[in-house]
Amino acid sequence: MSIEMKRRELFKFAAGSAVAVSAMRAQSPHLFFTPDEFAIVDELTEILIPADEKSGGAKAAKVAVYLDRELAEAFDDDQRQKTRAGIALVDKLSMKMNEVGFLAATPKQRVEVVSTMAGDEEKPKTPEEMFFHEIKSAAVRAYYTSKIGIEDQDYKGNTMQMKDYAGELPSGPALGNAGSK
Amino acid sequence: MRSEPEVEQPTADLSKTYDAVIVGSGAAGGMAAYVLTKHGLNVLLLEAGRKQPIEKELKSMEWPYQHPRRGEMPPDDHALTHNEYTVRPRPYAKGMPYNHVYSYVQGWGGSDYSKNIVVDEKDNPTTGTPYAWVRARLLGGKTAIWGRLALRLSDYDFKAASRDGFGENWPIEYKDIEPYYDRVDLTLGIAGMKENLPYLPDSKFQRSYRLNKGEMMFREAMAKQGRVATPYRAGVTTDGIKGNKYRSKCLGRGACNRRVGGCDIHAAFDSPTGLIYPAFDTGNLSIRTNATVYEVTVDKNTGLASGVSFIDSVTKQTYQVKAKTVLLGASTLETARLLMLSKSTTYPNGIGNSSGHVGHNFCEHVMGPGVTGLIKDLVGKPHTLDDGRPGGFYLARFRNLTEKNPNFIRGYGFEGESGQGMFPGHAFSTSGFGKDFKKSVRDHAGAFISMGGFGEVLARYENYVEIDPEQKDRWGIPVLRFNYKFGDNERKMAKDMTESAKQMFEDAGIQIVGVDDEVLTEGWSIHEMGTSRMGSDPKKSVVNQHQQSHDVKNLFVVDGSTHVSAANQNPTWTIMALCWRSCDYLADQLGKGNLA
Ligand SMILES: Cc1cc2nc3c(=O)[nH]c(=O)nc-3n(C[C@H](O)[C@H](O)[C@H](O)COP(=O)(O)OP(=O)(O)OC[C@H]3O[C@@H](n4cnc5c(N)ncnc54)[C@H](O)[C@@H]3O)c2cc1C
Ligand code: SF4
Repeated sequence: MSIEMKRRELFKFAAGSAVAVSAMRAQSPHLFFTPDEFAIVDELTEILIPADEKSGGAKAAKVAVYLDRELAEAFDDDQRQKTRAGIALVDKLSMKMNEVGFLAATPKQRVEVVSTMAGDEEKPKTPEEMFFHEIKSAAVRAYYTSKIGIEDQDYKGNTMQMKDYAGELPSGPALGNAGSK
Repeated sequence: MRSEPEVEQPTADLSKTYDAVIVGSGAAGGMAAYVLTKHGLNVLLLEAGRKQPIEKELKSMEWPYQHPRRGEMPPDDHALTHNEYTVRPRPYAKGMPYNHVYSYVQGWGGSDYSKNIVVDEKDNPTTGTPYAWVRARLLGGKTAIWGRLALRLSDYDFKAASRDGFGENWPIEYKDIEPYYDRVDLTLGIAGMKENLPYLPDSKFQRSYRLNKGEMMFREAMAKQGRVATPYRAGVTTDGIKGNKYRSKCLGRGACNRRVGGCDIHAAFDSPTGLIYPAFDTGNLSIRTNATVYEVTVDKNTGLASGVSFIDSVTKQTYQVKAKTVLLGASTLETARLLMLSKSTTYPNGIGNSSGHVGHNFCEHVMGPGVTGLIKDLVGKPHTLDDGRPGGFYLARFRNLTEKNPNFIRGYGFEGESGQGMFPGHAFSTSGFGKDFKKSVRDHAGAFISMGGFGEVLARYENYVEIDPEQKDRWGIPVLRFNYKFGDNERKMAKDMTESAKQMFEDAGIQIVGVDDEVLTEGWSIHEMGTSRMGSDPKKSVVNQHQQSHDVKNLFVVDGSTHVSAANQNPTWTIMALCWRSCDYLADQLGKGNLA
């Protein structure tokens, strides 16, 4: 019985957040991000994982679109708020460094902002460094599960091997016939 | 592949007396149904879960980007973490706000494909000491997602007590079980390579999987030290199974290994297509799903088992069914629970428990220690197809075979793999950003190798489960309370696992980039064994060498709960070989009128 009750409570909770999300959607073409937030994430993740001679980058792989959707349906509102606060930090840092927001900064200035945020990646300490870690992990997850990201890796698997399997077959027992000691 | 038979029979005849009723449809219950129906017995199989439309669930060829959450389960579902297993009070899911709470395996990739296979901890609570108990309630049980590593035990294991003085020997020797291992191999299919190791006997192998560059290099380095890293011995058919229309041979797609588990063309063994459907086709099998057995009933006059009582998992209505023999294959801990729940005036301690050993001598494998390394020669090399297979390599046991380790008894083996996977996990720890970062991730893909150990946990009387006096599951059935902890031998062994893993990588010229030395929560190996062990002495064991209850001659326990010691090999192939042997015995004895 208690299980049923908790389920109902949860349903209420989930319904509540869905309402909040759809209210926001009325003002934005995105599910969670505001247009500015979306643009910042789009630019930022492209700096992290850019297009190069081999393949498209985060923008082409629609990383921001994926993260937007993921956040919109995240169970924990905390996660949404943390990301929102993190994005605001990026803008603030840009203001401090360049006297303009992240979107108004030049490409070179943006890269400088991201470099500053990266700080010591091994041991993130400041809120900016922590957010760098978060957004980089999120970008990695979204990019390398996208079609573009998987192809960037020259990934050969998830295919049907109708004949011989790939790889090498050892020629015989590792220890010969004297496996026993 | 032919479509599955309509095996779900909510209307299975409950008025007749079956030759045998089997509880559970996993590796053990499936094998029992297979063997007994081949002997012409009239069998009823009861399974607590339902029959899942497994091909639709698994979607083995789906790419992450074809799924709205890249294969992950819905955001209001939660998988318990190592930390939560350690710090949260039991029952783990109590007070958690999520819709469903699952065991840790649902924290792996592709969890959306197995969310209807792994049980919800909210419905199935446990109490007592921390235990990461992974369960699957559906037709086929855990075989729907098992890890496919299929290994034999040897006399190093069956006679371990004679070798080091700890615990009990098994009441059988390798030669007793060898022909049954052979039959399991030939009936279900197993891929692997002959290595001639007395401590890890070869199977009747089908075509082996292959090793990639990093693994070949490691194999060669290990052979120089007298150690064997062999291609994953997989309970998977690579050449097909003659006479089984429900399975097809492995097409090397690798989905089973990228996700929690499962193969939608049934190349990997699962109990329904490997055993239950063929048994059903004999016409001798009735099946009822959604049937949770809560008691083995007793004939007061004879003291024999008369059948079982079960509750319909959906309607919660209770039923009784009669049988000449009762076989328990509900999985190790569920079987122990059922024996202890079956209290009567005849068996006040629970049926088959005059020894007081039911629930005790509980054992499994200790996990956690492992190592990850980089093979520099492979950086920047063209990529190859590396992960189109059910597993990488298995490094066989090497401790306490000829030498005696001063710190611990028994042994451990490693499961590992190298090569490129679909997702470049190393991207998370590659520093920097931009084009250099992207190139580095690309160049390093496929250049890593890692392995993790599985070590024998000693079967000790003090490690046990019992019935919780208060906590009940969703169906009102009392649950298990754990009293189970790793001991000194396990801790010392785990320490050696880490050290030896590092040493082996160094010896092979692999640059170590990550070391795990933390021991994972009890239960992590999903290899629960013991709790109704075999033996010849009815005072110290629950069943005899034919898995027949010492107390109740028409009651058989056919799953891993009968294992006397855990050895360090994954248990499923041994569960099935032993079960086959016992079912041959049961059919013979029943025919001779010896079980009435
Ligand atoms: C992710 C994963 C990886 C694994 N990897 C490996 C591996 O590589 N190698 C290996 O050897 N093993 C592996 N295992 C373990 C393997 O799955 C088990 O050893 C095997 O399935 C045990 O078979 P069983 O029949 O005893 O139990 P199960 O397969 O669990 O089947 C028991 C069945 O009984 C049913 N049941 C339980 N209680 C009742 C009741 N009261 N009434 C009616 N029915 C009931 C359950 O619903 C279930 O269907 C793995 C398991 C998992 C989950
Ligand atoms: S690798 Fe083989 S066993 Fe695994 S999912 Fe693919 S076909 Fe099935």
